[in-house]
Amino acid sequence: MIVGKQKPFDEIWDMVKGFKKVLVYGCNTCVAICHAGGSKEAELLASMLRMRAKQEGLDLLIDSAGIERHCEPEFFEPLDEKVKTYDLILSTACGVGVNFLADRLAGAIPVYPGINTSFYGAVPEAGFFVELCGGCGNCILHLTGGICPIVRCSKSLMNGPCGGTDKGKCEVSSETDCAWFLIVERMKKLGTLEKLFEVQPPRDWSTATHGGPRRISLEHIRAYEAEEEKKATLTGEGK
Amino acid sequence: MKSGSNLERVIASGKMAVTAELGPPMSADPHEVIHKAGQLKGFCDAANITDCQTAVVRISSIAAAFIAQREGLEPVMQMTCRDRNRIAMQADLLGAAALGLKNCLCIAGDHQKFGASGKLKGHPGAKNVYDVDTCQLVGIMKKMRDEGLQQGGDKLEVAPKFFIGASWTPMGDPMDFRPYNLKKKVDAGADFIQTQGIYDMELFKSQMEKARNLGLHERTAILAGIIVPKSAMMLKYMDSSVAGVTVPKELIDRMNKAKAAAGDDKKKMRELQEQEGIKIAVELVQQALEIPGIKGVHIQAIEWESAMEPIVKAAGLYPRPVLPAE
Amino acid sequence: MFAARRIEYVKTLLKKVGIDPARLEMYNLSAAMGPRWAEMCDEFVDRIRNLGPSPIWLASRKQSEKGVTEQ
Repeated sequence: MIVGKQKPFDEIWDMVKGFKKVLVYGCNTCVAICHAGGSKEAELLASMLRMRAKQEGLDLLIDSAGIERHCEPEFFEPLDEKVKTYDLILSTACGVGVNFLADRLAGAIPVYPGINTSFYGAVPEAGFFVELCGGCGNCILHLTGGICPIVRCSKSLMNGPCGGTDKGKCEVSSETDCAWFLIVERMKKLGTLEKLFEVQPPRDWSTATHGGPRRISLEHIRAYEAEEEKKATLTGEGK
Repeated sequence: MKSGSNLERVIASGKMAVTAELGPPMSADPHEVIHKAGQLKGFCDAANITDCQTAVVRISSIAAAFIAQREGLEPVMQMTCRDRNRIAMQADLLGAAALGLKNCLCIAGDHQKFGASGKLKGHPGAKNVYDVDTCQLVGIMKKMRDEGLQQGGDKLEVAPKFFIGASWTPMGDPMDFRPYNLKKKVDAGADFIQTQGIYDMELFKSQMEKARNLGLHERTAILAGIIVPKSAMMLKYMDSSVAGVTVPKELIDRMNKAKAAAGDDKKKMRELQEQEGIKIAVELVQQALEIPGIKGVHIQAIEWESAMEPIVKAAGLYPRPVLPAE
Repeated sequence: MFAARRIEYVKTLLKKVGIDPARLEMYNLSAAMGPRWAEMCDEFVDRIRNLGPSPIWLASRKQSEKGVTEQ
């Protein structure tokens, strides 16, 4: 899932204080799981902003709302009219949600981010989130025992550990595991250590963000959807 | 000859090679490079010019290497994977070759966040590159030299002829993988290897045996890294805080003894420790050169270039061979 | 106790918006502890009295006063 963290309160306040009618808009999928931007957190943040506004003597209306997802258009529809009555949307969705809503509102109302979208991660225990994938668009986990060297190695090395590994930890921090230490140990257990002996050539990074903005288009689904829509319009006309 | 560099010629002649290290300054003034080059010249076959070590901005390795070369000291330019993508790397290699540089050591480079943990501020907020890693950089350099091709496939009119080096941390974690780590660098095309500083010779011997069993000593020239100890404190620090380095207690005890012999005299304390440090370095050099498969030593007298002369002389490695260019 | 940890968390939130976290407290007692309950109430009322009016109350009042004079 996508993991984020609420921005520092003072930073949010500086973004918000110049407006009159603000909607703190939560998303109840990934960012709700990481306690950063679900309906509950949006409500709490709205309440804190109201307390701050009162103290500063500012006449600011701050409401909150939440929907299941900010990354698919149909989820926005029920609140579209309500959203248009505000002069700022403080989104606590991930960066995808902020972009998607801002595109939807097309410059009519600003959409500001209430959280810092951090990484793709897992939740090994309640309240603890770790980055495990970099979304590079060209997966090699079958070669590395299911451990991603692109984000779990501080140097994204592809051919084994650097000289900075110390007692299984990374030179960047004694709290960070050396990904290559883990990979070697895992490959030994899998009985496939020799896979690591082969030199991996320079990667094609164009599948990562270095090839420009990425998109995936499933033509068969898009064609089907277009056809269904056409049918619907036709039967609609028949009535 | 792959490059015709002095270092390559010495290694090819079968004589034990000696390399040193020169750290460029945080300054636009070349005089420190010139001064250090003067201290090292004649006491090594080539000297590594570090590339912003510990991720601190200094005179670039290529520029400092060029200055050293002008002073008559053969440089080994270094190139980290931290600061350049493959385009900048290859452009810099062409430029370095055009300036007459012939040796290049490929390294991953200290992480920019790691650099900030020392006394200096560094640039922990910098964006790193790591487009390619050490093995891949070695491969790119070899492809340029031997095939006259860029990594992307475009032809080079004149290929840069480098004697290609890579580093090796023989005693780093995970230790049983380290010989294979070396094998990958050799497979990629490393002509010579300089190791991380070694104090624990027994452990290094066992790692070298594994490297020999893989036949690596015949395919590359392994130079054992020796970091000249300056004080008991430095040895303790290296032992506890430097990755892949363990210092036997006996060496730390020797340094402590030298320190204690000075009583309260601070100046003498330093002098006695430095004397002992040089003695230890000489012994380490001699022990390393006896290990089968070792082709030389990489002596690092960090910010203490004047130590090279007494060490090389005492180790019986002076004068350095003078070999005619082809 | 989960509630206690949440109270601690809310205290950090209050601090961020400029409210003294001492204005929030959690007390623990059973239904049979009437006298202790009274004691706690007195204690907390004293504490709040000493802290004075809340900044939000003060700000609201200031604003309404300003409204009156303007009228």
